[in-house]
Amino acid sequence: MLNSLPVLLGQSQSGNAVLVTFLIYIVAVFVIAGLSNKLLQNRNFLSEYFLGSRGLGVWAFALTLAATSSSGGSFMGFPSKIYSHGWVLALWIGSYMVVPICVMGLLGKRINQVARTSGAITIPDVLRDRFNNVTFGLISVALIIFFMTFNLVAQFKAGSEILRTLLGPIDAFNSMVDSMPSWFSSLTSVSADYLFCLVVFGIAVIVYTTYGGFHAVVWTDVMQGIVMVVGVIIMLPLAINQATSVIGEKDSQKTGMALVTAEMAEMLPPRFGEATLSLATIATEDFAIPPGTWIWSKDEAGDKLRLFKTRKRYVIPQGTSDVTEAEVLEIVSPDDIQRAEDLLVSIQHKSTPRLSGLIVTAPQTKKYVSGADEPGAFVTAPGPHRENPDGFLPLSLAISFFFMWAISGSGQPSNMVRLMAFKDTVTLRRSIFTVALYYSAIYFPLVIIFCCARVLIPGMESEPDRIMPQIAVVLTENIGMGWLAGLLIAAPFAAVMSTVDSFLLMISSALVRDIYQRNLNPEATEAKIKKLSYIFTLVVGFGALLGAMNPPEFLQDIIVYTGSGLAAAFLAPVVYALYWPRANHQGCIAAMLGGFGTHLAMYCVGFLNGDGFTPYRLLGSDPIIVGLVASFVTGFIVTIKSPPPADSIVKKYFYKKVEG
Amino acid sequence: MGTDGEQVVPESSQTAVQYELDPTFVNSRREAIVIFFCWFVAMCWAVPYCYFNGYNIADPAEIPTTFGIPSWIIWGIGAPWLAADLFTTWFCFCFMKDDELGIAGDEEHLQENQGGEE
Repeated sequence: MLNSLPVLLGQSQSGNAVLVTFLIYIVAVFVIAGLSNKLLQNRNFLSEYFLGSRGLGVWAFALTLAATSSSGGSFMGFPSKIYSHGWVLALWIGSYMVVPICVMGLLGKRINQVARTSGAITIPDVLRDRFNNVTFGLISVALIIFFMTFNLVAQFKAGSEILRTLLGPIDAFNSMVDSMPSWFSSLTSVSADYLFCLVVFGIAVIVYTTYGGFHAVVWTDVMQGIVMVVGVIIMLPLAINQATSVIGEKDSQKTGMALVTAEMAEMLPPRFGEATLSLATIATEDFAIPPGTWIWSKDEAGDKLRLFKTRKRYVIPQGTSDVTEAEVLEIVSPDDIQRAEDLLVSIQHKSTPRLSGLIVTAPQTKKYVSGADEPGAFVTAPGPHRENPDGFLPLSLAISFFFMWAISGSGQPSNMVRLMAFKDTVTLRRSIFTVALYYSAIYFPLVIIFCCARVLIPGMESEPDRIMPQIAVVLTENIGMGWLAGLLIAAPFAAVMSTVDSFLLMISSALVRDIYQRNLNPEATEAKIKKLSYIFTLVVGFGALLGAMNPPEFLQDIIVYTGSGLAAAFLAPVVYALYWPRANHQGCIAAMLGGFGTHLAMYCVGFLNGDGFTPYRLLGSDPIIVGLVASFVTGFIVTIKSPPPADSIVKKYFYKKVEG
Repeated sequence: MGTDGEQVVPESSQTAVQYELDPTFVNSRREAIVIFFCWFVAMCWAVPYCYFNGYNIADPAEIPTTFGIPSWIIWGIGAPWLAADLFTTWFCFCFMKDDELGIAGDEEHLQENQGGEE
């Protein structure tokens, strides 16, 4: 039988591979930044630094857009959701079948043309020039800075968490963290390893983005995009092969993925709760219990064994024998329990997080609210859920996500900026095709891979965000190629880095171009603009890094809020600006503020209802849908009730002179 | 001057300069409508199909599979995904027009030396 239980990441071969890959990766990023900086010479600085001189070809344009859209969520959050909820994630991500053509095709050609006509470098530039209205430009700058700043802090934290997940179990990394001076860890209330990863991640991304500008971001995106797709292509056959090997002896009638699906159909969701972890004797020294430790315990009747797994690190202090209210997870699927026991026995010689002499007493675990005790929850919709009685993906949310990915993606300013940078329409056509193939090669295979992971690694609901690095280690070690884990694990790190660098440059461009050059000092020399661009990018980057040192709560919710909020605010005004000659600045400002305000109102109502950062869902829909409808309707009504735009503007952007 | 018409529009009788709708705008608008329709069809296929075949299954333990994957996923997501890729291919290489995007002021000096980069 294959070794598929969570072994500790970072032992020997895999740990070294991760570290070496990470170092090679960082070096490559800096080399790219250096080469990009050379391109800044002899070109218009602003256009080159923030827009790559509008010269992106197929590979650069396609992969930078694909990589920027695939944030860390694609390789950490998405796998975690697949593992936790099963096949229904294929429906959750289903609209990615049309995301490339929507995100690039709906606005691409036209926004590129309008940006060239007006000489715009940023999205606020486009809106300001299209309507010849300074106020509109400033409102859009304010919204971009508002949303992006929160998002940037959240992404910095995500980057640090990913790096900590990847490097955490490596001895060399822990030694480095331990050797940090005491003042270093006193900078923040969070752990020293988080802070160390934040500083490493932050400085790397700030320096290469500042030094290389847009081209550095684009070419690192290309490298990161290649890493992502190669990782998925390698993992897919390994996952199917190894999962079917693990369960192959059970059912000779089925083969391949049919075996995996049949096994998943019998699985039951685990139970979460608290318990007391006890030693048989008083601890003579502090007794550490790592996260993910497996513990067998007899039930109250004493005739049946129950299998638990710890979710956090706990320490039984010297002179005591237990720790109370420890968060645990109980595996209840008979097959999962059997497989876990078989594998624990088969890999006893390895350093697995299983401690002898430890027992669980007084466990208080709760079933999932939806899908508990129902075989088949992982192969049908809406999927199991711990708290929502309607399941993971009720119909209203399935519809919302079809809006969310395809339509909301079209309204992201970070994507719009890239649409202003491709060279010509041939590039656009080929890039849409390339990204369609790219997403097809990534997202559907990811669903298959992490459904296989349910079979290969039981009990990872205890630390679902670690499933990606964990599966990489298991798959490669099972074929005796642990070094390959380094490449696979680089994918999520690459994904979050490519998102952070784009956001960093967007905020910087809003400050330098949209506020300073266009409002405060239009006559600024190129040397001054250059200096300010470097300074602002550095300042914004380090500001976000400082913010992430003491990150606020609800960061994942903030990422969701800012992503959908930007779409609610920007999509309608940009669509009207590009495609409706009658559109005027009054209508588009109303559309922007209407979308922003309505979307924000959904969150405020949710907060006032006592749901924290969970928004109010009107008719069960995500706030993005309500925000977009409000934005388009408000914009339309205000436009037709206000005077038409000047003839000169309409002619400039919608008409061309006829010869003769 | 009308803002939605597509007819040739005289600017004034004195200059006799005439305008017509920019073909890049016209083509972009036509393509955007087709893309929006594509998204709508994809949603109308995927969500209802999955709802009627993947939700509230009577005997989920014996769920039918195709290629080893639950059939409601294959026909509700996999097949339309393939269809969407085929549509995208047709759209990119047969339907979408190559249009003139113009030259921005900041790139004029680059035109002599290069035609962009791959």
